[in-house]
Amino acid sequence: MATSQGETALPEPLSPSRSSSSGSRFSNLRGVRWRIDLGILPNSPASVDDLRRVAADSRRKYVQLKRRLLVNSHPSKDENRSSGVVMDDPLSQSPDSKWGRFFRNAELEKMLDQDLSRLYPELGSYFQKAACQSMLRQILLLWCLKHPEYGYRKGMHELLAPLLYVLHVDLQHLSQVQELYVDHFNDEFDGTSFSESDMVSDCSFKKTANMNRGTDSEKHFYGGAAKVSCLDKLDPDTRELFLMNDAYGAEGELGVILSEKFMEHDAYCMFDAVMSGSHGVVAMADFFSTSPAMGSGTELPPVVEASTTFYHLLHIVDSSLHNHLVELGVEPQYFALRWLRVLFGREFSLKDLLLIWDEIFSSPNHVSPSDIANDADFNLSLLCSPRGAFISAMAVSMLLHLRSSLLATEHATTCLQRLLNFPKDMSVKKLIEKAKSLQTLAFETNLSSCSPWGGTVRNKRAVRRAHSLSFDSASPRASPSSLPESYWEEKWRVLHRAEETHKTNGVSILSKIRNGSLKEKFGLFRVELDASMMETASEKKDVQSSIRHKILDNACQEGDPRVNLGEIGCNENPDISGTKESFYMDAEVGRDSPGEQADQNFMGGSSGVAEEACLSAKQLSVLCTAAGPRRMASEHDSEKSSVTSNSFVSDNDCKTGHKEELCSSNCRKKLLQDSEATSVTDVKLGQRTSSTQKHAAVLKEQRPLSGKFQWLWKFGRVSGERNLDDGKCVEQQKFSDVGGTCKDISEPLTCDGCCNSCGVSRKLEAEHKEVPGTLRSLGQSMLENIQVIESVFQQEQRQVGVADNSSSTILEAQGQVKIATALEELRKISGLLLEM
Amino acid sequence: MVLVLALGDLHIPHRAADLPAKFKSMLVPGKIQHIICTGNLCIKEIHDYLKSLCPDLHVSRGEYDEDSHYPETKTLTIGQFKLGLCHGHQIVPWGDLDSLAMLQRQLDVDILVTGHTHQFKAYKHEGGVVINPGSATGAHSSITYDANPSFVLMDIDALRVVVYVYELIDGEVKVDKIDFKKTTTTHACH
Repeated sequence: MATSQGETALPEPLSPSRSSSSGSRFSNLRGVRWRIDLGILPNSPASVDDLRRVAADSRRKYVQLKRRLLVNSHPSKDENRSSGVVMDDPLSQSPDSKWGRFFRNAELEKMLDQDLSRLYPELGSYFQKAACQSMLRQILLLWCLKHPEYGYRKGMHELLAPLLYVLHVDLQHLSQVQELYVDHFNDEFDGTSFSESDMVSDCSFKKTANMNRGTDSEKHFYGGAAKVSCLDKLDPDTRELFLMNDAYGAEGELGVILSEKFMEHDAYCMFDAVMSGSHGVVAMADFFSTSPAMGSGTELPPVVEASTTFYHLLHIVDSSLHNHLVELGVEPQYFALRWLRVLFGREFSLKDLLLIWDEIFSSPNHVSPSDIANDADFNLSLLCSPRGAFISAMAVSMLLHLRSSLLATEHATTCLQRLLNFPKDMSVKKLIEKAKSLQTLAFETNLSSCSPWGGTVRNKRAVRRAHSLSFDSASPRASPSSLPESYWEEKWRVLHRAEETHKTNGVSILSKIRNGSLKEKFGLFRVELDASMMETASEKKDVQSSIRHKILDNACQEGDPRVNLGEIGCNENPDISGTKESFYMDAEVGRDSPGEQADQNFMGGSSGVAEEACLSAKQLSVLCTAAGPRRMASEHDSEKSSVTSNSFVSDNDCKTGHKEELCSSNCRKKLLQDSEATSVTDVKLGQRTSSTQKHAAVLKEQRPLSGKFQWLWKFGRVSGERNLDDGKCVEQQKFSDVGGTCKDISEPLTCDGCCNSCGVSRKLEAEHKEVPGTLRSLGQSMLENIQVIESVFQQEQRQVGVADNSSSTILEAQGQVKIATALEELRKISGLLLEM
Repeated sequence: MVLVLALGDLHIPHRAADLPAKFKSMLVPGKIQHIICTGNLCIKEIHDYLKSLCPDLHVSRGEYDEDSHYPETKTLTIGQFKLGLCHGHQIVPWGDLDSLAMLQRQLDVDILVTGHTHQFKAYKHEGGVVINPGSATGAHSSITYDANPSFVLMDIDALRVVVYVYELIDGEVKVDKIDFKKTTTTHACH
């Protein structure tokens, strides 16, 4: 092309596409704009010479890279002569040899060709041309060789193609403009264009960075006053265009900004910038890798992580659509993989795609330092730059565009069908506008999600991390030390201390009881079992209940602070303080009543059986330690809590066995204290049931708040198991002829179990979302609970007639009432859950 | 850039059991575009094996070949080079450069590949190359008793040929390289 900067322009015309100018520089040169946005060409008011210099540098780098990476199978002769034995032979089996690399490259090229030959069939006239294909192949090959850790993945070529196309369009634009002015430079410069080359050196010397000075020097060169006036009249855009594409400007031909010769070089630079993100946050290459991103600390491929991020945004923007998608089990990566990897290239036509990419590239890819400052692990989110925010906003606006048709779907497949066949006949402008309006929101949520106090994304990450650890999660993970959490931890510690003192009390008391009872047992065990069955049913019950309640209190309190913490951590529920207080009350009462009994036992009991005491202590310590890690990782570790609950169940199993023995021996002694104990038990029972109700109520309240349940099914299952175990205990107790009395206790136990599990699940449900289908399983497990209780209940009723002790029947009646209420509550819960 | 494998005088199973294991491991499908074989394979199994390395196989007939359909001489064009193929037992005296040059002129080829002597030879002669890849199995011949197994791989690229000579000496594969350009006329180098 015979451009020249001295060329004078027709005064009259504006270039045809200039009308679209939005005030920004190079408004009609999309390629140049993108190159500036992507950081290949300098931004800000750089002079044309600067642009040219940078462009030339980038091209030089590309040439160097090409020279380094591409295998020349025929090294120069000098090399060969140097050594008698040639190491590089075509059949060499060492992979490092030149020939080895050559064959690998050939293989890669073959793969590239397979994809490239199918690239944009509707625009085949450009993309299927041999020149274009070879350029694309070369660029991709070089990039893959430079980044062996990524290699070539399908889709990369679709990221590259629009970049090359944009450069091509720019060139077309240039030639159009040149045609407009063609008369002029043909007439005036045909003769001079060659002689001019002698002056090139002078010209470039004389030119300074200042453009005006440059033009001045041109004026000087060509001298004509008429031309000067023409050059001034030339509209700035066009003048700049000519200056940029002058072969005799700075850096000579290498500096020509729009050059067909260097299209490959420029496209490579752009592609590299897109893929690597040019030190920014959004690097497309990440989306192609299957291993987790560098700083993220998750086990997830980055593309899944990114899609989770935009799902989170969707949740904020339109939670009902989000709920619907989650309910159908449509994971974001099912469709986002395709959207994100080629930056929506598959969903829109190339024309529309360019508009979208305009927006994507024009939003900066960096996070401002002020955002990073207070945030050590800011790298956590992949999309936390404005560019990433726009990408996720775009995805969300696409989802919103399909909103009604998505909401109408009933199956995941139809839903995905609609998502993957995005309508072509839609206005991109609207979508972009919508995305723009969402962008700031997305940016904020993304940022907040990387900050420690925890948006959902990070929570999810943590959960997933815990999940991946699954079985070695016994070691307590140091909880993240951030301010708000540590605050709650402190609060909890206060609670914990009180509880611990209580527990130690419990241990000593229990061992005392054990001592006394065992001593008795050795002498009287059989006789008592036979004789005292009928008479002492009530006393047994009392003692048992008290002990059991004590244990339960422990267990509950272990659970409760956690529950409370969870509640508080999630959303400030006013009920929490109330429940906490009630549990505190519980603890007090629990502590008091065993205290009394312990005293009494202590009187009767003499030197203890040390081993037994140790054993019991151990059991409790198991309980403590099991609860310990739960405390440590106070929020998310579901595995741990399931472990604790299991151990808790086993503890219960063991203890019920022991308790039967000790109760049978103890009961005689405590005939006197019966009435006291029963009253205490009653109070406790009342509190317990009331607390159960409260739990249920809280649960009901929280249900609408928390939309999604991730771990619920797990807990549902756990609770089911627990209850089954409880049921077994009940059976055992029955067989040992303790009578209906135990069931009173076992029922609150089951209730408590439910209650605990409810609490736990509630805690989790507030934090984690997804998998609504699992609600059903929870509901079923709750129904199972109810059935267990009912069966117990019926058997009890049968035995009510047998029991002749009036007080026990009264007590049983009370218990029944309470149980009935508890049952009702349970039913309600299960109903609600099933509904969901 | 084309890789052409030239080999011959395998004499399987009469004088050798099989190709040396080291050669077999080097010769893998996918790398070589053409195989030219001077003859004396001698059985069909070897013909099939060579086919498995590369489907484009050209064989001239040796005196021990069972397959009588192989031609006495064969010419083919690869890139800008014309290659001639002959076993060489017809040429008197065996392996004589002048006689080979005669055949080269007769066939009008740039590269003449012959065998029969079981000894690797390569001459640059009258603007062409005369190559004897030797015996790929190291089988004895009526002239030599202990021949080193050897074969030749030619990398033909435009006007340039790089001849890689693979020779198995004391259990080690030695590779040598000879460069040849079509326009230049130099005399023998080996």
